[in-house]
Amino acid sequence: MSGGLVAKGMEVSFGGVRALRGVDIVVSPGAVMGLIGRNGSGKSTLFNCITGFVRPSGGRVSVDGKDITGMRPHQVVAKGVGRTFQTPRLEARTSVLTAVTCGLYASVRSSLVGALFGSPWAMREERLLRERAEAEMERLGLANLRHVEVGKLSLGLLRLVEVARCLVSGARFVMLDEPAAGLTSVEKDKLAAEVRAVAARGLGVLLVEHNIDMVRQLCRSVAVLETGNVLCQGTPDEVLRNDDVIRSYLGALGDIEDAAGGWQ
Amino acid sequence: MSFVARRGNTLVLAICVLIALPVVTRNAVWTDSAALLGIYALLALSVGLSYGQAGILTLSQAAFASLGAYAAAICTVRWGWPPLADLPVALLLPALIAFPVARLVARLSPLATALSTLAIGSIIAIAIRSADDFTGGYMGIAGVPSIGFVKAPASYAWLIWAMVVIVVFLYENLCHSAYGRALNVLRFDQARAAADGVNPPMLVSAAFAISSSIAGVSGWLYAHYISFVSPESLDAHLSISALLMAVVGGAEFILGPILGTLLLDGLTRLLPAAELQGVYYGIALIVILLVARRGIFGLIEGGLAQVRQLRRSRSGEVTALEIEASRP
Repeated sequence: MSGGLVAKGMEVSFGGVRALRGVDIVVSPGAVMGLIGRNGSGKSTLFNCITGFVRPSGGRVSVDGKDITGMRPHQVVAKGVGRTFQTPRLEARTSVLTAVTCGLYASVRSSLVGALFGSPWAMREERLLRERAEAEMERLGLANLRHVEVGKLSLGLLRLVEVARCLVSGARFVMLDEPAAGLTSVEKDKLAAEVRAVAARGLGVLLVEHNIDMVRQLCRSVAVLETGNVLCQGTPDEVLRNDDVIRSYLGALGDIEDAAGGWQ
Repeated sequence: MSFVARRGNTLVLAICVLIALPVVTRNAVWTDSAALLGIYALLALSVGLSYGQAGILTLSQAAFASLGAYAAAICTVRWGWPPLADLPVALLLPALIAFPVARLVARLSPLATALSTLAIGSIIAIAIRSADDFTGGYMGIAGVPSIGFVKAPASYAWLIWAMVVIVVFLYENLCHSAYGRALNVLRFDQARAAADGVNPPMLVSAAFAISSSIAGVSGWLYAHYISFVSPESLDAHLSISALLMAVVGGAEFILGPILGTLLLDGLTRLLPAAELQGVYYGIALIVILLVARRGIFGLIEGGLAQVRQLRRSRSGEVTALEIEASRP
């Protein structure tokens, strides 16, 4: 159990509420792992727990065998686990290139003093950062948006910029927080293609998503969360045929036929 | 980006100084005003870095400046150090106090952080007043020597404005670095910055420490220029004035605080009644908050953006949406 991003027995309590009650999840390199569940089922808590934004009260998180439990967000990034935000609050006038370059912060080696005095070394690194950001934008087809202000982007492109920003950091595991929420179907297809390409590069992806179609398209394996527990786990088709999942997700048994029909 | 483009603000300022100072220094009164304006401009710049970049609304900059001023006075007058040898002390002492304080308070809400800086400023002022044997208490310390070759007021005006240009150069370097970008992200979204790998309290505290060093330099220049420091020289009022100057000019813009200093302090010097200063500052603040929340530079930038937009829509240049449609 050493390869990949492994969270074992994750427990989180907010006051008296147990948001996670011993959740296990594994994200393998080169695969897209789906995480679905109703609102309040603990998806976001698990996501924040792995990325260091919420401190777990129990359980272990490790990356390729190295323990990262309880690390702060910036330390988790340094260990190769990146994340995106659904609706990042950005300064509207920032250019796309600058926004993506921000994702390289963790790899900056020149010191604050070096940056202050504009040392040749710091300047060379600055050029290097720009080149790396541009290369990543090229790969994601964002190259011609370089100088566009992020405030002018559609939601779909903004999510792609988020993905690029996460990838440049050199992340080996990418956690996507409901990337398809609010996108048009064309945008969803484009995003799905990019996510697939990311996994094909050998990166592990954890996809937290409400959009069942997206999950079915992309994920080899899906975990369903319900009140802080993993309700079931398997391939998308197995999971979506599971009675418990249908009951949890859709609430009423009477709708199974329609729902199952809709999913096919 | 080329070397020149990345240092636009520094170049503009350097050119303005080179044009204006030779004219100004022909008149003795103006020379004195120019020197003092430069000292206040440094103080306002320190607010710009702290408030405009790191997001700490600071009310302690005059206290940090007084640390720099007392460092200069004590090192040279009491200990007999040669002037210039005291500069590292004036730079480091404020930073050594500002950094741990910011580490403690940076997690608080912006308002609470602002109040903490006010408290720190007061503590420093009280400490200076109480340590009679060391700081001269209410009497202050007189006879701070000139900085070596710099003796005439005109040479001081040149030295002070050279220092302003140097600080703007460093500040501009910072803004164009990964750290400057991270500060910018931080101001909008701490979580987003953390996900980039930024340690928010650490970076904010470092920026605050640098900002307090800038304030320390302004105090160092003040002590050597005036040759006297007392608790009243750089009091809490000045902290508030410096904040006003930065906000009026545009705290987030590199040259904003300097423009604010010239407008507020420069114009009050030209006005007949000095007692009207408070009225004048108050009016300036109200007008700025009503008309231009991001200061005068913000107003200018907004206007330029509108002109650009208008020109683009006329010439039928490609928009972001069209670029998106042409994506493979």
